[in-house]
Amino acid sequence: VSAELRARVLAAAAAETSPTRADLRRRNLLIGLVAAASGLGAFAIFAALLSEGHLLRLGGEVAPHQYLERPIGLVATSVGGALVVATTAVWLALRRGRSMLGRSRRRLLCGAALIPITLLAWKVGSSIAFGASMVAWPERPGERCLALSLAVAAGPLLSFLAIRRSAPVQPALNGAVIGFAAGAFAWVAADLWCPVAYVPHVLLGHVLPLGVLAGAGALLGRALLAPRSR
Amino acid sequence: MANPGLDGADAAMERYARGDAAAFADVYDAIAPRLLDFLRRATRHASAAEDLMQQTLLHIHRARGSFIPGAPVMPWAFAIARRLVTDSARRRRVERRLFSETPADDDWMTYDPTAATAAADDLLHAHRLAWRIQQRLDALPELQRNAYRLLRQEGLSLKRAAEVLGTSVSAVKLRVHRASVALRAALREAEEPA
Repeated sequence: VSAELRARVLAAAAAETSPTRADLRRRNLLIGLVAAASGLGAFAIFAALLSEGHLLRLGGEVAPHQYLERPIGLVATSVGGALVVATTAVWLALRRGRSMLGRSRRRLLCGAALIPITLLAWKVGSSIAFGASMVAWPERPGERCLALSLAVAAGPLLSFLAIRRSAPVQPALNGAVIGFAAGAFAWVAADLWCPVAYVPHVLLGHVLPLGVLAGAGALLGRALLAPRSR
Repeated sequence: MANPGLDGADAAMERYARGDAAAFADVYDAIAPRLLDFLRRATRHASAAEDLMQQTLLHIHRARGSFIPGAPVMPWAFAIARRLVTDSARRRRVERRLFSETPADDDWMTYDPTAATAAADDLLHAHRLAWRIQQRLDALPELQRNAYRLLRQEGLSLKRAAEVLGTSVSAVKLRVHRASVALRAALREAEEPA
């Protein structure tokens, strides 16, 4: 390796500032706060626009003289479980384990498969356990939950990609898992807001956004996380 | 067995991540020779390899804050370099398609057999053999070629090569085995009298 090349590389590095570990920790904390604020903000605005400011909805009249009631214990169980899954998903998406190359393909694929399955199973399982009727609500096919989930997850998705910064191996798959993680947090918000546990509604309004966000994450991951030659 | 150079690179990278600016020179000294060797083999063009090595090291420089304490630097550097080689080759292909009228004077992905000039028969034979092997290596599917280079030419362990390639150890074994079979066949063909 020539001395000229060495001098050139060292000079180029010296001319470009880069964050140290402490700087990056502060920056990531700030990005995390922005992600939380954007998610909560989108949730509050959406709820204010669509349901008179009710962030927590326990039921309603699904048909003439037929009411859907969601006990508060069910809300706590369902939302609490989803929060645990969402936190685990963020840990999987943003922590790289002990290697700079991130998690193995197998682990990422397992995570990508398990996140939506676990969330769906928990939602349906807790509704059954509490004896809540999973009745159809014809006026609520799920498009509002779909929109809510996408609006809530947009900020966290971009923030998580900014925190991850780079993935030289499997950038698209890493991006997809980041999309699932952002979607899992949106699931928590949708679960808080939406009393409907009717499975077709859950698939359209709650599970589909996870897929959309994973697809968006994969595309963004390939574009933003993969190192590019200049 | 511990490699003092690479262990030194890991320690230097850790110091660099913490903010010791002078440690980057140590990181460079520890990884640049192997990295440049890898890039020269991958591109077979000296200036392109140097350019990509600079980009790889600058990428490491920019991402120093995200360095995980105790993580090895070399597989990370190889993974970035490999990605940059692929991206650079893709970019060149696109440029070539867009400007197909322009002569490809910067075509560093093809080998120039006229470069091998030797008077002695045995040297000529060796060059021909190397050329045949290189041609066969280039003709291998990219997955097999990368696995072979990392394992056989760069000396990475199966586990590290699997990490760099983002696949399993058994997949790397299979790719290297297939590459070795193809190269052995090419060697036999070259050795047979015409």
